[in-house]
Order: sequence, then C-alpha cells, then structure tokens
Amino acid sequence: MTILLEVQGLSKNFGGLQVSSDITMSLKAGDRCALIGPNGAGKTTFVNLVTGALAPTAGVIRLDGRDVTRLSAADRVRRGLIRSFQVARLFASMTVREHMELAILQRDRRTFRLFASVGRTRGLAAEVAEGLSLMGLEAVAETTVGSLAYGQQRLLEIALALVMRPKVLILDEPAAGVPHSESQRILDAIDRLPKDLAVLMIEHDMDLVARFASTIVVLAQGKLLCSGTTREVLADPRVREVYLGSRAHAH
Amino acid sequence: MSATMTDAAPTNHSAARLASPRRDLSWTAAPLVGLLGLAAFWVFPEDLGLMTRIAAAALYVLSLDLVLGYCGIATLGQAAMFGTGAYAAGIAAVHLVNDPLILLVIGGVAGGAIALATGALILHARGLTLLMLTIAVTQIVQEVANKARDWTGGSDGLSGVDPAPVFGLFRFDMVGRTSYLFALAVLVVGMLVARRIVRSPFGLACRGVKEDPVRVAALGGSPRAYLVTMYAVAGMFAGVAGALTAVSSGIVGLDSVSFSWSAEALVMLVLGGTGRLYGAVIGTVAFMAAHHILAATDPFHWMAFIGLFLMGVVLFLPGGIAAGLERLRDRLTGTKSGSAPGGRA
Repeated sequence: MTILLEVQGLSKNFGGLQVSSDITMSLKAGDRCALIGPNGAGKTTFVNLVTGALAPTAGVIRLDGRDVTRLSAADRVRRGLIRSFQVARLFASMTVREHMELAILQRDRRTFRLFASVGRTRGLAAEVAEGLSLMGLEAVAETTVGSLAYGQQRLLEIALALVMRPKVLILDEPAAGVPHSESQRILDAIDRLPKDLAVLMIEHDMDLVARFASTIVVLAQGKLLCSGTTREVLADPRVREVYLGSRAHAH
Repeated sequence: MSATMTDAAPTNHSAARLASPRRDLSWTAAPLVGLLGLAAFWVFPEDLGLMTRIAAAALYVLSLDLVLGYCGIATLGQAAMFGTGAYAAGIAAVHLVNDPLILLVIGGVAGGAIALATGALILHARGLTLLMLTIAVTQIVQEVANKARDWTGGSDGLSGVDPAPVFGLFRFDMVGRTSYLFALAVLVVGMLVARRIVRSPFGLACRGVKEDPVRVAALGGSPRAYLVTMYAVAGMFAGVAGALTAVSSGIVGLDSVSFSWSAEALVMLVLGGTGRLYGAVIGTVAFMAAHHILAATDPFHWMAFIGLFLMGVVLFLPGGIAAGLERLRDRLTGTKSGSAPGGRA
C-alpha cells in the first residue's frame, strides 16, 4: 500500500524546552491509527507540526510522497491533509449550513466567484444535505453555531473535515464533549470513509481506541515510546506503565 | 431574545423551531431605497443638493460596510479610495472625457487600484496597527493631492467638472434634478451589486475570515487573499462614490481624502448598523439629515447635538438603527430571530 504520510526525525524546541524530539512514523492508505499518550506527551504539538500550524526545528514531513515541511497549513490542506480541532473551532455567527457550504466551496476552489449565488451553486445543497445527515445535523442546519450545543459543534467539526475529501485525516479527540450515544455516530462515519485514506486519531478514551484503531502510536515526553498493532501496543509493559497505569487512576 | 438564542440549542424541540428559516426580506432594501428616494424627490424639491450628497455618501459608507461589516477590517482610510476616485474622475472630466458613466468607471478603477496596491501592502496587519496604516495611507494620498497642484488644484480644489448629459439625453440642470436622480440610480445599482457580492461564495469566505482567519486557513483558504480582494472591491465602490460626488457637484476638494471624512464614514456606518448593507444607507441618511437640520436651526451648538444624538443611538440602540428596526419588526410580528451582523444581508 502507498505511504500517505511520512514523518522523519521530527523535533520542535521552544527555546531550551524540547517538546517533540526525533519522532518518526508513517501512515499507509487505509491505516486507522490512534495516537495516544499521557497529558503533556506532546500529542497536540505533534499534530500542529504535521498540519503546519507550527514550524519544526528539525525533521521532514512528506504527504503522498511530496515534501511539505516548508508548506503553509493551507497548502497542506489543499493537498489533502485535513484536521479537526480538539476544541471545536467554528464561525460563531454562521449557520451550520453555511459552514458546510464554505468548506465545500473552498475545497472546490470556487470561493473567488464574486457574482455567483451560494444558494444556486449546482450540487451544493445536495452535498450539504448528505454531509449533515452523516452526522445527524439536518435539524439544526439553519441554526447559528454560537447557539448550538457543544456536542453538536463537535459533530459539525467532524462533518467539515469529512467533506473536505481528505487523503490523511487527523482527528484531535473527536469524541471529547460528545455524548456517548453520539460518539458511535462518529465512528460509523469514519467506518464509511473511503478505505484508501489514512486516519490518525488522538484519543484518551481507550474504549474508543480499541474500537477504532488497527495500529497505535504512543508518545511520552515528546518522544515516540512505541508503535505497532493495537494488540501489541496494549500488551506492551512500558505502555501500561506510562499511560494506562496513570489513566486507570483517573477513571 | 438573546437569552432565547443561547439557551435554545440543546433540545430537539427548540432546535426545530430555530431551524425554520426567518423570512428573508433583505432583497427589498434596494428597491425600497429607490422608492423612498423618488418620493423624497417630490416631497423635498428644495433639498436636492443635500439629497444628492447623501446618496453619494451612502454609496461610500456602503463600501466601508463591505470591508468592516463583512471582513472585519478596521479602517480609518476609506476616504483614500473615495478621494482617489473623485480626483481621477475630476481630472479625466477636465482633460479627457465628460460622459458621466465613463467618469464613474474611471473613478471605480482608480479607487480599486489604490485599494489593491495599498491593501496588498498593509493587510498583513490587524487591529490597531492596521488602523494606523490606513490612516497613514489617507495622509499620503491627501498630501499627494495637495502637492500636485497642476492636476488637482491643491487646496483651491479641482473645479470645472462639466459632465455631458446622462446617456446623451438627460442634462445636468441647475436645480440638480438630474444629479439627484442619477446619484439615486447609482446608489440603488450599487446596493444590488453589493448584495450580490456578499451572498456569493466569495462573500461567505470573507465572513469566515472576519470570524476566524485561522479556521479559514484550516479549510484550505488564504485569508489575506480574501481580505485584499474585498478591500479592492470596496475601493471600487468608494471610487465610484467619489466620482459620483465629482460629477454631481462639479468640484473636488482636499476634504474628500481627509481623515475626518474617513472617520465620518465610520460614524455613519456604526450609527446605521454594520454587516447589513442597508444599515449604511440608514446611517448616512440619519447622520447627514440630522447634521443639516441641526446646523440650520442652531448654527452655534449643532455639534453638541450631533454628539448627543450619537451617544443616544450607541447607548440605546446597540447594533445601530438597523438592529433597532429589526428588533421592532420582530416584536411586531412576534418572530424570534437573532440579529446577525455580517449576515447574508
């Protein structure tokens, strides 16, 4: 299978503080990988480096075979590296429908049409409806996001990421703040994604990880602790020590 | 009402109620302005000069709404585009052509060009820094206009703009009938075009940038490209408004590129309500009419009354006159709706 995302020796220093050091990993087409690690392990920093929100101190990031280390976040998005945010980051005064419209128009590079009508763009309404029904958001299509329940904002966040037609999809704790009944909806939607794309999910909920992931990457203190199939990693004593042990107390 | 909005979402019941879209009446704004403008033509035949200035100024304030209300660009430099358009049209009228429609096009192109050039330079900045830069651009343009006396007349102003009849048919008469109807028509067309733009995919993207440029980048968009484009588009509107003033008044002065004219646009827009387009027209009419009436009745203290009027609106009508009218309508019709500044208009 083709390697879609390849990260080599990725490091990031903030002054003398090393928050990511020498991380190497890759995602193949079809991979369903969970990125886990205790709080402060550098998971979000890693995502920010990969997506281009932060510039790495050292290392190379390749997307579908091309070096994207120097590209802006928006350029990486245009090449199919899509993320959802850990805390729903949406346009408060815009409706759910407008979010979907903007994401689709942006994906199709139709946003510099100054005299076209959004409402009359061919095929747009149908695709919006399809994306919304995937997350069960049809009923709130005309609601402004600022007055939406938090769980629904998270679902919209996922719907936006899915509609962008990602090659590599990074989900930062997609189920955080979503009621348990709704988290299955997110997993179902991920299940229905085309099999040729790679998904990386940052997740604390080990139950969700076990249901979703075929492989796991573990970060601890900014370093890659281990990686492998879900079964291997969960059986690894080091992982139990740094991660599962501490989480067990928290639950 | 706002409490209803924030509390509404969690239950399906209230979500369904919110989902029924509010009847969109915003398309009526431009025709309404046209009709009221025509009515004013017969009701106030003595004030055609003032009303012509109001129509041109409304188009100028509308241009500011495009950048402030729909992109969130805080600017005190819109007069740079207005003045450039006015001088370009005025100079062209003196030396080249006198067809009023061509003069408007020249003004629009000039306003758009200066906006594009300066916008590309300064729009990487945000907030106060950007505000300072827009003021600086206006000062530079004003100084250029002041120094280029041979072309602009400097502090004496540019006079001798003598436009040909509109479509070769309607002469600009002494009373100002043609001027007013011409200005009103340009304003109505401007409102229709602006509404089209803010409802386009581009307008949607600009609203996204206004709310969260980083999120727009995460969707693959380039926030700055949207800002610069909208700044240039708004510059064209401002340039047309400047050219309209030059054509209808026959003169262009340095005050058309002044800081105070930029600031007045901001006052008029906030007064009327941002992010609605028609708020710009309401604010301009309210401000300039109040200005006119108060200055006539009490030439010594009118500025104080203007100040009191402004404070009253800002304190008691947050969101401007347009938001107040919308609340009144909602109360009368019993509908619940969130006023949405930066909305689809």
